[in-house]
Amino acid sequence: MRFALLLFGLLAAGALLPYAPQADVHPAAADLPASAAHLLGTDHLGRDVLARLLAGSRAFLVPGAGAALLAGLGGVGLGTLAGWYGGVVEGLVRGGLGAITAVPPLVLALLVMMAVGATPTGLALGVGLAALPGLAEVVADRLAELRRAEFVVAARALGLGDLRILAWHLLWVNTRTLVGREALAIVGQALVLEVTLSYLGRFGVQEPAPSWGNMIDHALRTGSVNPWTWAAPAGAVMLAVWAANPAGGRR
Amino acid sequence: MRVCAGERLLLDDFGLRVQAGEVVAVVGASGSGKTLALRSILDLLPFRPGRIAGEVRVNGARRDGRSLRGDVGLVFQDARGSLDPLRTVGAQLAHAAGLAGAESPGPALLERLGFAEPERAAQRYAHELSGGMAQRAAIAVALARQSRFLLCDEPTTGLDAPVQAALVRELRSLREVGILFVTHDLRLLPGFADRILVLAGGRVVEEATSLEGLRGAGRALVEATAAIAPPSWPRSRA
Repeated sequence: MRFALLLFGLLAAGALLPYAPQADVHPAAADLPASAAHLLGTDHLGRDVLARLLAGSRAFLVPGAGAALLAGLGGVGLGTLAGWYGGVVEGLVRGGLGAITAVPPLVLALLVMMAVGATPTGLALGVGLAALPGLAEVVADRLAELRRAEFVVAARALGLGDLRILAWHLLWVNTRTLVGREALAIVGQALVLEVTLSYLGRFGVQEPAPSWGNMIDHALRTGSVNPWTWAAPAGAVMLAVWAANPAGGRR
Repeated sequence: MRVCAGERLLLDDFGLRVQAGEVVAVVGASGSGKTLALRSILDLLPFRPGRIAGEVRVNGARRDGRSLRGDVGLVFQDARGSLDPLRTVGAQLAHAAGLAGAESPGPALLERLGFAEPERAAQRYAHELSGGMAQRAAIAVALARQSRFLLCDEPTTGLDAPVQAALVRELRSLREVGILFVTHDLRLLPGFADRILVLAGGRVVEEATSLEGLRGAGRALVEATAAIAPPSWPRSRA
């Protein structure tokens, strides 16, 4: 978890480099190999690959954070309703979530993006909505288990009200790590979707704005002789997905 | 006190009086309504009772179940489950004390309850404690909450005999609280309980100050226990 936060922090540090990722076009210095001045060389327009790599992280970090926030708020809200109240409420909420889950997440995200537009907002909404049912189910399962626990009766016996028990003891103390991990995985999903879209469909972030997906796409299409033009963003995708994947890392 | 579920009468004419420093035991077979009686005192039944009638008076003033929570502590059979799994014992003691507007009693209270290493125990989580230690920690939480009465719901179940004996001794030494001790194990009571109530079918059928004083349904329980009790156990003279 900490490792992932550190990695994302580094990625967001692109502003520190002395090159503008979009404006510094130097056709004369195109496809330079890695050197001290350009640590990862330059691309077919002479732009610094490292600067574009770091700036490209914003293509998924910002929508990813938005998606995590949307899925987090909605998922915790709906999951709490279902898990805490149980009965008819749980049936309704779980039924509604099941209807969303019936559409594969990638297809759902694409549908949302078709409706809203292939913008960062569309990406955030699409990924967030696609991830929401999973998060809600996780929270609902957790609460359904916790609310029957003896320590909840014990907390009542101490004189605590239901709201306090739910908000503090169950959600904050006993569920927050779970939600945090899920939220981080959602940022990873946003990355994968963004790469998929801008590489395969040329649907995502458009040139000259950088994203890891369109960097790979352009590097392969222009046949750059600098291997870092495609290897760096491809490696970054693998690293970031691995870091965001809760199963791959330690907490 | 009287509790119904639908038309079914679960608890009938359950009445008793406990004074500070006194231990009143409620005994009875499984299903006789012991746990139900305790939980209805604090209005903590897991279902919505069809009808609940009766009253609880503290120092003569009538109190409802909800307002009693905290002043009256509940000690569970499953002590480990009654502690928050993700907070340390010390944090839960401090929290409980805070609810009563008091300072955290910290390790001193744990030491009084027989913890050999109270400092370390305060930093532990429920799953790291043995059954007996978890039960003591749960009692400590109730005491930290400044509860003046403890409702103990078979707190010795699942513990081995020496631990049971130590726990009962420690409860006995808590002179500042009144204790209502529910159990099906009569072996714990000599030297511990001031009074014994026998519950059967949701009704108090007998009351005595010692096991020897039990005659009817209580006598049957005493004799059933004799089979597994030490030779000093009061056996039937028949």
